[in-house]
Amino acid sequence: MVLGLLGPSLVLIALFVVGPVGYAIWLSLTNKTLTGFGAQTPEFIGLENYRRLLTSADFLHSMGRTGEFIFFSAIVGQFLLGMLAAVLLTKSTVRAKGLFGGAILLPMVVPEVVASLAWASMLAPGQLGTVNRTLDAVGVTPLAWLQEHPMASLIVINTWRGIAFAMIMFQAAIEGISDDLIEAAHIDGAGARKVFRYITLPLIRGPIFLFLLLTTITTASVFGLIYFLTRGGPGGQTQVTSIYIYEHSFAFFQLGLGSAASVIMLVVVLVLGLTYVRLARVEV
Amino acid sequence: MVTESRARPAAAAHRPGRGTGLRGAMARAALRRTGIYFVIGLLSVFCVVPFAWVVLASVDKTAGLYLELPSLTIENFRRFFSDPTTPRLLFNSLLISGGATLLALVLALFGGYALSRFKFFGRRTLMFTILLVRVVPATATIVPLYIMMIRLHLNNSYTGLILVEAAYQLPLVLWLMKGFFDSIPVELEEASWIDGCSRLGGAVRIVFPLSRPGLGAAALFTFINVWGDFLTPLVLLQSAEKYPISIGMFRAFSAHNQVDWGLLTATAVLYMVPTVLLYLFARRYLLKATFTGALKG
Repeated sequence: MVLGLLGPSLVLIALFVVGPVGYAIWLSLTNKTLTGFGAQTPEFIGLENYRRLLTSADFLHSMGRTGEFIFFSAIVGQFLLGMLAAVLLTKSTVRAKGLFGGAILLPMVVPEVVASLAWASMLAPGQLGTVNRTLDAVGVTPLAWLQEHPMASLIVINTWRGIAFAMIMFQAAIEGISDDLIEAAHIDGAGARKVFRYITLPLIRGPIFLFLLLTTITTASVFGLIYFLTRGGPGGQTQVTSIYIYEHSFAFFQLGLGSAASVIMLVVVLVLGLTYVRLARVEV
Repeated sequence: MVTESRARPAAAAHRPGRGTGLRGAMARAALRRTGIYFVIGLLSVFCVVPFAWVVLASVDKTAGLYLELPSLTIENFRRFFSDPTTPRLLFNSLLISGGATLLALVLALFGGYALSRFKFFGRRTLMFTILLVRVVPATATIVPLYIMMIRLHLNNSYTGLILVEAAYQLPLVLWLMKGFFDSIPVELEEASWIDGCSRLGGAVRIVFPLSRPGLGAAALFTFINVWGDFLTPLVLLQSAEKYPISIGMFRAFSAHNQVDWGLLTATAVLYMVPTVLLYLFARRYLLKATFTGALKG
């Protein structure tokens, strides 16, 4: 009975999600290519792909860039701005919370491609680009952002897109704190800053950690946003691991090498995911 | 969720023992409130401003890459529907998202019921495994998936893409449906068994109808996710007549020096309107779905 009901779902997941993971591991041990000799008769070459990757400056740089992208956009940017929004929007004195909350939610809910397109205009080079025009007011000379500061631009964009996710997680956590506790601290003479530092922050340590894990996992696999705007360029400056995998597999046709890079990424993400599942203690 | 406010006595806002009388305290409170509105306002503007160009250019007769006041026209939208290629994008997106949603939901309806009602060996482990499968990044499975699809003769086909998209969404939908079924008392079914219904008959006649609101939320959520996907169709589809909007927009944007900004932004508006509207009307449900498995309860 159980098998009959649950079976079809599990078959589909096994076939198209779990199966490819296993297949990726197999492919990563071969010299499979999309065209030419390796396409017909891929040979088993052991850990050769991994050896090549781990000694390739290109791949190691892509990992470094992924780390940079995650650290600055997710761990710093989204965390700080999301926390700021959450703290302000849980204040009882603030009106029109729905309006502000809805505005901050917008970047998260629109399709990835629309978000990217919007920023193509924002960061357009020359004096007429929106960002350049704004910065002109404070005396900054116009820049071709996506060419001159591609990584910084993408970090800002990804921060922008993820503020809402952090905000919602922190809002839920802050709302869960007993009012009496904050009341008591106020009576004892603690100001807003002290209440935040000594009461709010320690009490929502759990959700903060979970957010950091989740956002690291999702940010590691960001692809569309970067591919749409820079395609990993210029000169490979924004080639994060997800772009590296795509380029090497589908532009250079090295499927074996691309699979090995996928497996490395997968291992890192699954370790984070396992930590998450253990710590989240979600009810089953 | 976002709109909920915490009721706290207003008196707590100004703290005793720090001011020079009531007037000073009130002035400080007003100043602080202004500051709060300024910061949250700035953050909101930052989040919304990038969309100004998309919307304004879509109704601009002479749309370009830069934000400017439009000379109003609905010509761009008219062209979207009369163009030989763009209506097809909309149709494809609807077909792929609709198909994947339907498939994922039907499977999760039965699967979620089993996870909720039967206490079989390894159920907990299975639930956690399903949750873990959710974190597998699409970028990491796309290469083997591509080769598999060629082998299965499902490459460059709606069927193949729909199967893959449904499989990606299933873990979350299973969790969602299990949660909804948990909230429906077993006693209702038990009554139907006594009346002669089979186990499955009880589920279909009593439980499934009651879970309709949950089913609706799960459907919207799945639809939005597939609707916005970029990587999977980019790899699994090769013929332009099968592209969904995301890929069509990317191709149009990449046509250097000859981008039709009016048509492209009109497409973007039509593409984002469904998701924005759904969030506007069902924000609470959709956000709850987003955080299923992420937050307790």
